[in-house]
Amino acid sequence: MQIRFEKKLEPSRKMLFATPILAVVLTMILGALIFSILGYDGLGAVREIFLTPLTNSLKWQDLAVKAAPLIIIGVGLSIGYRANVWNIGAEGQYIAGGLAATGMALLTHNMSGWYLLPLMGIAGMLGGMAWVFLPALLRTKLKVNEILTSLMLTYVAVQLLNYLIFGPWKSPTSFGQPQTVLFNDWQILPYIIKGTIVQAGAPIAVLIAIMAWLIMSKSVFGFQVRTVGSAPNAARYGGFSENKTIWLVLLISGGLAGLAGMLEVAGPFNRMVPQFPAGYGFTAIIVAFLGRLHPIGVLIAGVVLAITFVGGEIAQTTIGLPNAAVGLFQAMMLFLLLAGDVLVRYNIKIVRARRA
Amino acid sequence: MNNEQGLRLELEGIVKAFPGVLANDDISFSIKKGEIHALLGENGAGKSTLVKMIYGIMKPDEGTISWNGKPMNIANPKAARALGIGMVFQHFSLFEAMNVLENIALGMDEKMSKKALEEKVVNIMQKYGLSLDPKRVVSTLGVGERQRIEIVRALLLNPKLLIMDEPTSVLTPQEVAQLFNVLRQLSSDGCSILYISHKLDEIKELCDSATILRGGKVVATCDPKKETAKTMAAMMIGTSLQAINKVKSKDFSEIGFSVNNLSLKGAGDFGVSLKDISFDVYRGEILGIAGVAGNGQNELQLVLSGEILLKDKAKISMNNIEIGNMSAKERRKHGLCAVPEERHGHAAVPEFSLNDNAILTARNRQNMVRAGMINAKSAKQFTTKIIDEFNVMTTGHGASASSLSGGNLQKFIMGREILQVPDVLVVSQPTWGVDAGAASAIHQALIDLAKGGAAIVIISQDLDELLELCDSLAIINEGTLSQKQKVGVMSIEEIGLLMGGVHGENSSVSSSQKKVMAQ
Repeated sequence: MQIRFEKKLEPSRKMLFATPILAVVLTMILGALIFSILGYDGLGAVREIFLTPLTNSLKWQDLAVKAAPLIIIGVGLSIGYRANVWNIGAEGQYIAGGLAATGMALLTHNMSGWYLLPLMGIAGMLGGMAWVFLPALLRTKLKVNEILTSLMLTYVAVQLLNYLIFGPWKSPTSFGQPQTVLFNDWQILPYIIKGTIVQAGAPIAVLIAIMAWLIMSKSVFGFQVRTVGSAPNAARYGGFSENKTIWLVLLISGGLAGLAGMLEVAGPFNRMVPQFPAGYGFTAIIVAFLGRLHPIGVLIAGVVLAITFVGGEIAQTTIGLPNAAVGLFQAMMLFLLLAGDVLVRYNIKIVRARRA
Repeated sequence: MNNEQGLRLELEGIVKAFPGVLANDDISFSIKKGEIHALLGENGAGKSTLVKMIYGIMKPDEGTISWNGKPMNIANPKAARALGIGMVFQHFSLFEAMNVLENIALGMDEKMSKKALEEKVVNIMQKYGLSLDPKRVVSTLGVGERQRIEIVRALLLNPKLLIMDEPTSVLTPQEVAQLFNVLRQLSSDGCSILYISHKLDEIKELCDSATILRGGKVVATCDPKKETAKTMAAMMIGTSLQAINKVKSKDFSEIGFSVNNLSLKGAGDFGVSLKDISFDVYRGEILGIAGVAGNGQNELQLVLSGEILLKDKAKISMNNIEIGNMSAKERRKHGLCAVPEERHGHAAVPEFSLNDNAILTARNRQNMVRAGMINAKSAKQFTTKIIDEFNVMTTGHGASASSLSGGNLQKFIMGREILQVPDVLVVSQPTWGVDAGAASAIHQALIDLAKGGAAIVIISQDLDELLELCDSLAIINEGTLSQKQKVGVMSIEEIGLLMGGVHGENSSVSSSQKKVMAQ
């Protein structure tokens, strides 16, 4: 017996939209089953992870805080993925962006003025871009796979972070804690809604998603990215350089990840700390795919993944679910989404073995 | 011609469906012993599917295949060969690094000593006048010689039916004549031949009867000797052909496009290097570049269209502007449009809408871009214009390119470039796989474009098309381009010899080639 995948002539558009939703629902069902078998309150876990963050209005601001970096990084990654450029090292670019912004903050620590935050933002983006420079160069000059190089550089960024905050950037007043000094008032993101923890990151994320949507659907650049991703030969024939496109999408995804890093360090943290790498760069990969590589889809998917983050924290305290449970839910979601995609795009036929 | 009575092969009600297409729909016909039977049809008519079922590669969904009067279930190609069915494929399966004999030995179902095999091979070659050195390494052989290996391979099994799939598409006229001699001799020995082709003249010359397929159905079985090429074409295509309206023997004065001493190293192991290519095309002139596939046509197309860039910009110029180092986009802005051979994924993006495919190459020349943003309205207007003027059968400008049939997509692509009114147009295989009605519409559009003052280069393997369409002709062989000559000055024989290049085994080839080149 043999299982054969036959490509469908035209995948159903309805199903293309439905699979992300189905993946989330199936994740809930399977998650409940798995944690019940493991001896936890499975139904309760799913309720706490997926529903409580939505029903409890106190948690909404947490959602906004968590969703912002996921959306900003996810939008950048989705643009690259559209061009078949697989940057999976956004976590490293996020850290590099955070470090560059921190460096700028330390450099300007005794200054004041509205321009300090934009300066840090630019530094953050440049930091993220610097982290894709090597993968982009190696890919365009030597055809080295960017999946490997971008991922490996993530670990370099983590080491750099540790070196800086244990060494030259360590605050003299932190009683030996590996962290920098607190940023000054001009270097901290303003709160958008009074009395909450929602800072400027959330509206910036929404703005970036909308801008990316316009650019990807209406501009020549968006067209170029889609063409290079779908048919490189046709792109060359249409006058688009593949290498230039690779450079551009890597710089955009790196720059946006760097910006997310700046918004985190100047937002919730107010200083650089060892806990800064929170896995946003990796989770944003799931966000990009769950959002169907569409900026508005990414916006929605960013909120969904933020729900699992916030819900995971709730479930840790209320049901005593281990921290790793959230990762399991997130991974299951990506797996089911990809599996669902196969079913949408292919017919599966079981063929009886025949002697050849 | 039939020494024995009776039928060799009989097909009854053969049906084969694939997802989304009915490739063969109730096909019935029969082949007599010793008969050369043509299977005629356009690309996509269902010829290959049918033959694969006869050779046991696929199984019919319905219907029966009878062999020598008995219904058979042909399980696989080995079983087909055991019955006496041999097949020569369009694409050869040969190991380049091995010699002729070793390649033949590898394909044998039964074990045989090397000496016995060599004896048998030499016998067959002598009997059918197939000149071939069994010790030659395959990589040194030309296409015609490689095909002979495949024929010998099939003949070793003493076939009662030999299936030939588009055997002449890669051959020079001389090689075709030699092949026909072999096939005629086989037929007189009682071997039936199923000859698949869409070349009408060949079928008229060679075949005793012909079955014509269209859209997976048998439209007619006829005697090709009694039909004209035109009537068979009409049956194959289903519409009557339009006569081309062309002004002959024009005088040209102004050079529109010129290539000077262009050389290019071929990419990778299989790329062909271009060697010192030079030619001028006048405004209003159509230059045809003929040649057997794989002699540098793809490389030439890419370097002319700007998909491969040259360091020295002086190698290519148009309207007295040197463009050798300009990208495809820059060249288009200067008025050079191009159509590569491969439609899907090169000339068009299959999953994109027709609208987006129009934007792909026409965005700058048709003012679809303002401040980096695409103007959807002007894109839609231009797409609709292409669909209307080139009669593209589609549900509308939003339909995906992959939803169009090959011929319709080609009409769209040709229309997209021609309606941009370029000063220079470089086209590969403009009517490849296109039905005759659409082909003549494309030809007419090209002629009209030239009349308007464009310099046109057509790279094609279809010699008939080039002779009909072009003012002058040059032949490419192993990356070298012959001198351009007026159509009508060169005889078909000369063209054939040039196309054969160094591969021809006739010693007079090289001398007569020199003669033509010197002219």
